[in-house]
Amino acid sequence: MSSHREAPEISKDPVADSTDLYAFVSPDQPDMVTIIANYVPLEEPAGGPNFYEFGDDVLYEIHIVNGIDVQHELTYQFRFQTTTANPNTFLYNTGPITSIKSPNWNRPQFYSVTRVDYNGNSTRLAKGLACPPCNIGPRSTPNYQTLAEQAIHKLPDGGRVFAGQRAEGFYVDLGSIFDLATLRPFENLHLIPSPAKPGVNGTEGYNVHSIAIQIPKTQLTSDGSNPTDPSKPNSIIGVYTSASRKKATVLQGNGQDVETGPWVEVSRLGEPLINEVIIPLGQKDFWNSQDPQGDSQFVNSYAHPELAALLPVLYPGTTFQNLGAFNTTNTPRADLEAILLTGVPAKVIPGFPGNYTGATQADFLRLNMAIPPSSSPSILGLLGGDIAGFPNGRRVFDDVVTIELRAIAGVTIPFVDTSFTPDGAASLVTDFNPPAIPKGVRYEKEFPYLGEPFSGYDSRPHENA
Amino acid sequence: MAKLTRRGFIGQTTASVATIGILATVPTLAATPEMTDVVASDTTAAELSATTFSESVVAHVSDLASGEITIMSGTKEIILRDADLVMRLLKAVR
Repeated sequence: MSSHREAPEISKDPVADSTDLYAFVSPDQPDMVTIIANYVPLEEPAGGPNFYEFGDDVLYEIHIVNGIDVQHELTYQFRFQTTTANPNTFLYNTGPITSIKSPNWNRPQFYSVTRVDYNGNSTRLAKGLACPPCNIGPRSTPNYQTLAEQAIHKLPDGGRVFAGQRAEGFYVDLGSIFDLATLRPFENLHLIPSPAKPGVNGTEGYNVHSIAIQIPKTQLTSDGSNPTDPSKPNSIIGVYTSASRKKATVLQGNGQDVETGPWVEVSRLGEPLINEVIIPLGQKDFWNSQDPQGDSQFVNSYAHPELAALLPVLYPGTTFQNLGAFNTTNTPRADLEAILLTGVPAKVIPGFPGNYTGATQADFLRLNMAIPPSSSPSILGLLGGDIAGFPNGRRVFDDVVTIELRAIAGVTIPFVDTSFTPDGAASLVTDFNPPAIPKGVRYEKEFPYLGEPFSGYDSRPHENA
Repeated sequence: MAKLTRRGFIGQTTASVATIGILATVPTLAATPEMTDVVASDTTAAELSATTFSESVVAHVSDLASGEITIMSGTKEIILRDADLVMRLLKAVR
């Protein structure tokens, strides 16, 4: 998955497990950038009575760098506080929740937002902001859209924020990819073949918890300017999210834990699928503890990605013969290093002004804010000729699995090595054929853009499988 | 000090035996992590009462050989080196 359960330790700590990160120029408000950091993977909507929440003991952060200065960060910090209105019932709600202030909601959760600017000055933008409840069902949350709308809060700097449950927007044929990297539409060509068949969305019908923030572009540049020129460095931001826990925990044996000490990063996420697919098992927990500015230590995994070596083996014969031949040269994948670690310099990809953030190798999701939203977006982003899509930022509907599969399979090598001819299969490989948003995936046209969460009562995960 | 993962920390704690639960009082912690060699304090428990220090404190013997103790409270952390204290703690848990 993009980054769901991607490392051994964080897979045991769902509330701190970042699953997806999105950053895009808001299509309905192009003077704003929307950043969404998702946590709590694979929420089965009926998973009560203790439905899903953010962690009160977790520090959630969204970090932003601007231009080629990747050492100074603008950070938005989110801290949550949950109360139990009535401790003498097992119920999540004691009646219909018709408002986020309803006394029937037994586990209301609130949060604060703090902005730490590029100079390290901290300002608490808001506190006591209410999350919506989880979507339980028609008796408990009869008008969920109203609850969600009530949980969109204005910020004093002109932005908006939302934190709470949403429908999973990331789609992937999870069951096939982790079955020895087979892809159902092409598994007749796999080393262990079976008849080709349509892809199955492994995240269908599940929810996540989203922290969504919409920020004026002028708040994101380090000098406060409005980024209008895509060739200017300060038009480009790099974004990542992190979750941290206190360094020491003492379980006192009475249900009350003591947590103390400095914050320690236990999860981070910039580009999708990096810790999932690029970083090897022995380094995944360590990777999660490191800041991206030190990612040059992981460059070998980008330069020689394991999946690129596996494709010619798992799909033998002529399917990936050019990639196989390239692999034997042991040439570093400069295309992947650029796209994923530094951003793409100008003029490398025709028609794309670039999203380069300097030579420091770091796992940031990079967005050129001066590129306006596309009026006819392609889910294949840059590979589909849409420069407003991934890997220039990431929109909620971008098909990052197909884009990264094709990149790893070699379609982006010619950007740095014109003598290389990608295999025909490289521009066809996908988990859904043809690439498409699977049935049942929900989005909205307005903030927070991810769709209404599936309710526990109504949900049938994988009903379209 | 090497950066530790949360689980790594817990694992190391088990291995080195000597995490000291919750201490009632410690010298005031520095605002930022720092490496400090500390001699035994003359401050008594009575002088450092709950009114002067109310937060929970966890001490972790992070290196037995050098007598290194990591003391954490709030979001602060300091590192002390006190081989005598470490030896007394080890005797206490035997």
